[in-house]
Amino acid sequence: MKFSLNFIKEFLEVKMPAQDLVEALTMSGMEVENLEKSGNDWVFDIEVTSNRYDWLSLLGIAREVAVCLGKKLDIKYPKVVKEPVLLGRKIVIEDSNDCIFYVGRVIRGLNISASPLWLKQRVINCGINSINSVVDVTNYCMLKWGNPLHAFDYDKLKGDIFVRRAKKNEEFIGIDGKERILSKDNLVIADAEKVIALAGVIGAKNSEVDETTKNIFLEAALFLPLSIRRSRRSVGLDTESSYRFERMVNPQYLEFASEQAANLIKELSGGVFFGYKEAGKNPTIKPKRIMINFSSLSDYLGLACSASAVRQILERLGFKTESISKETAVFLAPLFRFDIQREVDIYEEFSRIYGFDKIPSSLPAIKPKVKEPNSYEFKKEVRRLLVSMGLNEAVTFSIESEEELTGLGYENLIKIANPLRKKENVMRPSLCQGLLKTIKYNLNRSQSNVSFFEIANIYTKLKSGFEETSQIGIAYSQGFNDFFFLKGLVNRLLDYFDIVEYEFKPESAKNMSNSLSIVVGGQSIGCLGKIDRQVKKDLGIKEDLFFSQINLQLLMKARGIKKYQPFSNYPAVCRDISIALRKDKKFADVEKIIVKKSKDYFSSLEILDRYQGQDLEKNYQAFTLRIFYQLPERTLTSDEIDSLHLMIRDQLNAQDGIQIR
Amino acid sequence: MEEKLRILEEEFKADLSQSKTQEELDALKVKYLGRKSKLNDLFSLIPALSREEKSIFGKNLNILKNKISQKLDQSSNSEERQEELIDLTYPAKPMANGYQHILSHVTEQICSVFEGLGFSVVEGGEIEDEWHNFSALNIPAEHPSRDVFDTFYMELKEKDKGKYLLRSHTSPTQIRVMSSLTPPVAVISPGRVYRPDEVDATHSFMFNQVEGFAVDEDINFSHLKGALLHFARSFFASSVNLRFRPHFFPFTEPSAEVDVSCVICGGKKNNSVNQRCSVCKGKGWVEVLGCGMIHPNVLEACGINSRKYKGFAFGMGIERLTMLKYGINDIRLFYDNDQRFLKQFQV
Repeated sequence: MKFSLNFIKEFLEVKMPAQDLVEALTMSGMEVENLEKSGNDWVFDIEVTSNRYDWLSLLGIAREVAVCLGKKLDIKYPKVVKEPVLLGRKIVIEDSNDCIFYVGRVIRGLNISASPLWLKQRVINCGINSINSVVDVTNYCMLKWGNPLHAFDYDKLKGDIFVRRAKKNEEFIGIDGKERILSKDNLVIADAEKVIALAGVIGAKNSEVDETTKNIFLEAALFLPLSIRRSRRSVGLDTESSYRFERMVNPQYLEFASEQAANLIKELSGGVFFGYKEAGKNPTIKPKRIMINFSSLSDYLGLACSASAVRQILERLGFKTESISKETAVFLAPLFRFDIQREVDIYEEFSRIYGFDKIPSSLPAIKPKVKEPNSYEFKKEVRRLLVSMGLNEAVTFSIESEEELTGLGYENLIKIANPLRKKENVMRPSLCQGLLKTIKYNLNRSQSNVSFFEIANIYTKLKSGFEETSQIGIAYSQGFNDFFFLKGLVNRLLDYFDIVEYEFKPESAKNMSNSLSIVVGGQSIGCLGKIDRQVKKDLGIKEDLFFSQINLQLLMKARGIKKYQPFSNYPAVCRDISIALRKDKKFADVEKIIVKKSKDYFSSLEILDRYQGQDLEKNYQAFTLRIFYQLPERTLTSDEIDSLHLMIRDQLNAQDGIQIR
Repeated sequence: MEEKLRILEEEFKADLSQSKTQEELDALKVKYLGRKSKLNDLFSLIPALSREEKSIFGKNLNILKNKISQKLDQSSNSEERQEELIDLTYPAKPMANGYQHILSHVTEQICSVFEGLGFSVVEGGEIEDEWHNFSALNIPAEHPSRDVFDTFYMELKEKDKGKYLLRSHTSPTQIRVMSSLTPPVAVISPGRVYRPDEVDATHSFMFNQVEGFAVDEDINFSHLKGALLHFARSFFASSVNLRFRPHFFPFTEPSAEVDVSCVICGGKKNNSVNQRCSVCKGKGWVEVLGCGMIHPNVLEACGINSRKYKGFAFGMGIERLTMLKYGINDIRLFYDNDQRFLKQFQV
């Protein structure tokens, strides 16, 4: 909200330089976002927080300025005249929930022209265009008192005035010239024939005041904030008037605003007061009574607050002291502050004026709590580990495109009801797309050696409700490494968390025909594999891509306990073996036999090389394996290893599809 | 016996002075230290000696052996002994480690400051309901932040806690923790939040926040100020100051917005357009977070007796703090994940 310093000076003398006032207001809670010079005036632009509807009037702002400067306001309330009563026209409020009180004043015989300079400056410096000597006055009074007013061309109104809901598909052309189709969401002002205003939002073209207007009907009213909000939203409008009604206007000043406007219009455009009419009831407001305890206040702020200091500040703010002792006091909230409801509101009022900067800084003594394993700590560990293995951490969006994901075969997506764009309209069911796109982004920028991981949530719709789970996603291109690096990486991750019993089960996964499921305790906790050609093609990536996703919660649950394992001090003995394997056989078949047959002697094995050459039978591939044998309790003799190794060779050779070379 | 040792030593010295080439030196080694050397002959005499002599003679014999061996080594002039010089100016090999994302690093930094004060870290879900995201936080039913322009709503069947939505701040975690634990509690909670903002240099529809709160019988506003000042000085620099400006949030009372003295220009006020700091716009202060004492309505919504317990809470944007600390001028850089960007923050 913009206001001008000269306007404020209608209420009190301000000697403080504008820049200093900016600082003072900002530090007491009225944040000045901008200060600009305009002729001999200063224009302040303040942020009005939603609790301070009273700052939408110059009166309210002047009160705050007065508090800051420690001065008193000089408010001249006009004498309200309600006679003569307007005859021949009724004001009908159809639903008093929408409008509690409505006032009309008719002035006849006007000679409307441009406004005098002082009035023009007042409205322009508060961010409103100057129109003419009537409209400017309504705006001036709205700015001053906070109550929006509207002037209709009285000669264009037919019959009685109605405050009612719009009919379905009722047409409306506002003074902005735009046509709108109304609905029951819109509260309107109508005469016997037509809609003459979108209540509290904007007037209609059909009854607009212009320079030819002679007689006006001046409206002031109390509309329900919610009605105005719904109405203006349904037509996509936000006006000075709706802005105020939505937040609340003060009933106390409605008659002052209307009366002063009528008087000023007569003064500037001639004319005589022709009649007054009202409908509904202007509510009487009772001050809120709040009792506070000074020691509670002191405990709340961490500052010793004396009764006299509190009283002095609250009275500056317009509170009345009903009773006061050293320990407690009862204060009456000012009638212009509907936001003051309970003790804490008084604590805030006192502290902001006293000055937050005068409250000392100290550290709380946090009481120790039992520390439970949490996902945050676990994520930290995973992050360290993956970074140490050469992966870069990515942060990608959790919102993706339904079309794209459905194309990849994902189901049960959680849709966003109000997406910003169609390509960002569902919660992602996997970390895959985000990581692959990140790889693509980097490959396209001539970055080779691209490897990423991300720790984030994925979301799935369930039969009843939904599921949101934390996942670890890992993806890289062949420029970084191959599939077996990924397998080693997952091994390392499981080892790190002391998960001993696990296996990799071949099982196709989303986007991957070549993939393994990571099974711990009979449950799959994730997968790893090579991204399918088609998926790569759709993304426009040529390089091979590898991806793994592991459920973080399940991994955390499977975590084992670190414990010392005795190791053998006796040397391990190794023997090499070259094997040709038919392609329908798996390495795991070979491994299984070796492990089983070498029993307790088996320590580990290692691939020395893999070979696919012309000297091999068709459909065979070869590799050289090094097997390590070791016993915990003694040194092995070469004789016993030779015979064991020979037996294993024979066992392998006896298998269909396995040849010892 | 000693005499034999002396003579042998003299002989060796004479021989050594005559030997020039490596071959000659090698020959000397065989002659004096080899299996059939004179020295070895002397060693074979030891068993026949008396106990006392054994010890002295053995010791001296060993000293001589070492002396000869050392002298031979020193005289050896072969190329093996010469260290070959390497061109050390070739480039270093790249290290194999990756890079943590700067956002997760900053999150960890923030959390660890508060962990040091005794706070625990708790994470919350991102799909929330209206009650946890708004109502329990004293945000009225018709508050603008509930608008479809300010909150993403989910197409999920509504349950008893209102519509499902993407949390628009991390505060729902505060509600969940306070509803499930009895005070005292002191929690810090980082995570992703979502708002339907068009993406530009300073906005994104997804960003990260950290929420912190402490509830106990004796928590007060002074603690809030102290905890945040401790944080700012740990996170930015020990010299920074904070400024608490009164503000309004439905869930705290009193509420404040907090400015940090500009980390770029050191908080010098300067209104001249040409010289003023681009980060604080010459104001000397930069807004970094919002905070306040937890509104009693919020405590009560969580079943906490607001007569007995008080609490403070604060929330801050991680991207904003990161941009400020590292001079990053475009929020989109965080989500592009360009390796050239990520690599700059080795942590």
